Amino acid sequence: MTAAVAAAQSGLASILGAGRVVADESARAALAVDGRVPGLVVFPQSSEQVAAVLRYAGEQQLAVIPCRNATKLGVGNPPRRYDIALCLKEMNRVWHYEPADLTVSVEPGMKFGDFLHFVGRHGLWLPLDPAGGARASLGGIVATNSAGPLRLSYGAPRDMVIGMKIATSEGKIIKAGGRVVKNVAGYDMAKLLIGSFGTLGVIVELSFKLFPLPVERGTFVIPAGTLGIGRDIRRRVLESPLNPMRMVLLDAVASTLVRRGTPFAAEVKEPEIWIEFGGSGKTLDRCARELGDLGKAAGAPVQGLESASAEGVWARIGDFHGFLCEASPKVVILKVALPGAAGEEFLSRANQEAASEGIRVASFTQGGVGVIHLGLLDEAAGLVALISRLRTAAEDLGGALVVERCAPELKDRLDVWGPSGDDFCVMSKLKAVWDPKGILSPGRYVGGL
Amino acid sequence: MGPDAVLWRPEDLMLYEYDALSSVTQPQAVVFPTSTDQVVGIVKIASQAKLPVVARGAGTGLSGGAVVTEGGIVIVTSRMKKILEIDLENRRARVQPGVVNLDLSLAVSDEGYYFAPDPSSQKACTIGGNVAENAGGPHTLAYGVTTNHVLGLEAVLPSGEVIHTGGTYWDRPGYDLTGFIVGSEGTLGIVTEITVRLCRKPEAVKTLLAVYDAVVGATRSVAAITARGITPAALEMMDGFTLRAVEEATHAGYPMDSAAVLLIEVEGLREAAEENAEAVEEVCRENCAREVRRAKSAEERDLLWRGRKNAFGALGRISPSYYVQDGVIPRTRLPEMLEFIEQVGKLHQLRIGNIFHAGDGNLHPLLMFDARDKDQSQRVLKAAEAILTKCVEMGGSITGEHGVGIEKRDLMPLIFSDDDLEMMGRLKAVFNPRGDLNPGKLLPAGRMCGELRVQVSQGGEV
Repeated sequence: MTAAVAAAQSGLASILGAGRVVADESARAALAVDGRVPGLVVFPQSSEQVAAVLRYAGEQQLAVIPCRNATKLGVGNPPRRYDIALCLKEMNRVWHYEPADLTVSVEPGMKFGDFLHFVGRHGLWLPLDPAGGARASLGGIVATNSAGPLRLSYGAPRDMVIGMKIATSEGKIIKAGGRVVKNVAGYDMAKLLIGSFGTLGVIVELSFKLFPLPVERGTFVIPAGTLGIGRDIRRRVLESPLNPMRMVLLDAVASTLVRRGTPFAAEVKEPEIWIEFGGSGKTLDRCARELGDLGKAAGAPVQGLESASAEGVWARIGDFHGFLCEASPKVVILKVALPGAAGEEFLSRANQEAASEGIRVASFTQGGVGVIHLGLLDEAAGLVALISRLRTAAEDLGGALVVERCAPELKDRLDVWGPSGDDFCVMSKLKAVWDPKGILSPGRYVGGL
Repeated sequence: MGPDAVLWRPEDLMLYEYDALSSVTQPQAVVFPTSTDQVVGIVKIASQAKLPVVARGAGTGLSGGAVVTEGGIVIVTSRMKKILEIDLENRRARVQPGVVNLDLSLAVSDEGYYFAPDPSSQKACTIGGNVAENAGGPHTLAYGVTTNHVLGLEAVLPSGEVIHTGGTYWDRPGYDLTGFIVGSEGTLGIVTEITVRLCRKPEAVKTLLAVYDAVVGATRSVAAITARGITPAALEMMDGFTLRAVEEATHAGYPMDSAAVLLIEVEGLREAAEENAEAVEEVCRENCAREVRRAKSAEERDLLWRGRKNAFGALGRISPSYYVQDGVIPRTRLPEMLEFIEQVGKLHQLRIGNIFHAGDGNLHPLLMFDARDKDQSQRVLKAAEAILTKCVEMGGSITGEHGVGIEKRDLMPLIFSDDDLEMMGRLKAVFNPRGDLNPGKLLPAGRMCGELRVQVSQGGEV
């Protein structure tokens, strides 16, 4: 332990109590980012404590990365500095909950699974299927604006957050928005924090609008054969009156992976479309009928699945990052965001490019949303060049590519976030307003912010 | 730009002094650019001359957002009205800011799409104005307000710099400047291009009118519908006073003798719309609706909505002036709030009509008065402040969709602390460091916790 860390340990202990400032090797290693291990891990229990920690860190010029379950902690550039891991796991309180108003205000450390259980008792949910699934924390989901296939019908955290409190790097607690579902008073500061990956402030309270759970659900699988058939089915579904809750196009590798350990386990040989509807029995019957007709017209048989077990597969689809890493620990995960109609074209180029490098791919495409996750399963000399060509392909189609997961040594050779635009100068000035001393997740975001 | 794109005679300028709320002073010039480049040129000239710049769409705003406070140049976007691109497979369109809200929906209507935000002024208001104010409307209950439908922006900063935020797809890496600029009331930049999402029209729409002999039945029904797990596309309430005025003006077929009505719309697949309509009907009857009518045709539906959307105008017929408020409360507090508003009306001897986006707790009490009567005008402001203060006490907000503008800037301390407001000021300065873009809006003028700032003067149609 360096003298600086020892001094910080006692300084922080005077704010949080000695038990909540941990220098233990394994606790620190568990929150390493790109091989960088923090000097200390702190566990604040209140907004005020978070603010006090940040004030102290600012005074001492200590770099802080907020975290909880580390499901998305690897996303970003390697930190320039990393002194304190600010772990929010002890901030799990519910401050306000009125089921009849469909609103809730909670602390950011609450895990998504616990939260869904909590509001599910009243037939409500937050319709998200974020990376990290049930283990992800609400704060982490919002800080990364993490949305899965449900975005097709419900939107992203950006559309569900109605207010928040933010501890700033200057040690203040700022409020943005409120606790009502409609509100245009003042600048929408919450939008800046949503998806800012812990670089502007630390979210210490979140208010959401909630949604009624669908009465019943129905899941269907359509083998797509080729990407051309996949495109045809996507178009037909989206142009039909049916409103799927979510729809994904999985390639054979991805589908085999998410089916594993469920009643639908199988070695899948071709791309599949998984699609889910919500509503009454009558509505679902209609969806089944018309989806069947639509599949026939596209030359693909439609299979209905037993809904409770299908939810298990959806959970694995939402949390595929975890399963992919488990299956291939060295997997590189790319996120491609582009206009939805270009999805199949990108996939076809990506498959060709990867094959030419001898790299196997697993792909998860959020149908109608325009977000594709690609897992590159093999290490090969051409990996960095491949990523760069895939980025060009995404940009040619009007989109962007972010490297969400790769080995730290690769990060020295590629730009995780890709190029920034003509609004970058405004972004860097905003960063300077929120974090004038540059102590929050320094260097991790777009353009090294 | 050519001589026909600039107004400078006082009699011409007068027309651009007002919005739907108020007026303060005249601009020095009004200009009508057609392109981003022209906007950049105007902004640079204004900057050299140290003149404030105010962007303006159709002037339908209700909080004084487009009103000039210190003179300067008004940039009217009415000639920037091109729909630049429609991409139905990706469900989006790129438009100039002067495109009228309804015109965009009409342009894609035949193909089965529409632009979801639908403020009452949608026949006149512009999408640029909707972006500035983060406009809502009756159907935002299910579909969200403007910010949920904007993917990307092009904006001219006061320095003349042009930035492009967001994109034509979701999740462009970087801070969500689009989300920050939407609702910033023209104080951060002048938006010159907007990429919006388009929604697919539902297969079936059911429009219901539930009629009540007591207001409390209507307000209870609102919470009960939500509690049933139904999210109507729209859930509007009008009290008896308002609906009588509306009926006289519109002949929409509203019952003249009732205490309140709910206008409820459910939509989706035929089966879902039918089931939800039945469930809504049942809930309304359980909560003492004396009658629940269903629109049997598109014409009947349009008529019911025309009554609602022209309600402000209808009240303008019966009162020389009115002042419309825009508070928000948690929807379960509606019964309590309506009682409170009634008491406020009695206390200040004012007639108050109530017309609410009840489903999301967004209140529009209309305070009737005669602007020529100074005492009445004062009482109106006092009554409005009492209502807004009550909204805040209930955990709500001072504005749900009309914006802060000049009207409510001094009420901001009711809901935000000094630290909150100071941060907003610093963030504003990143975009607008000299404060010459739409000065005097949104943020309080001083530290004093203040008052509504309105010259309540007209009863204009909204």
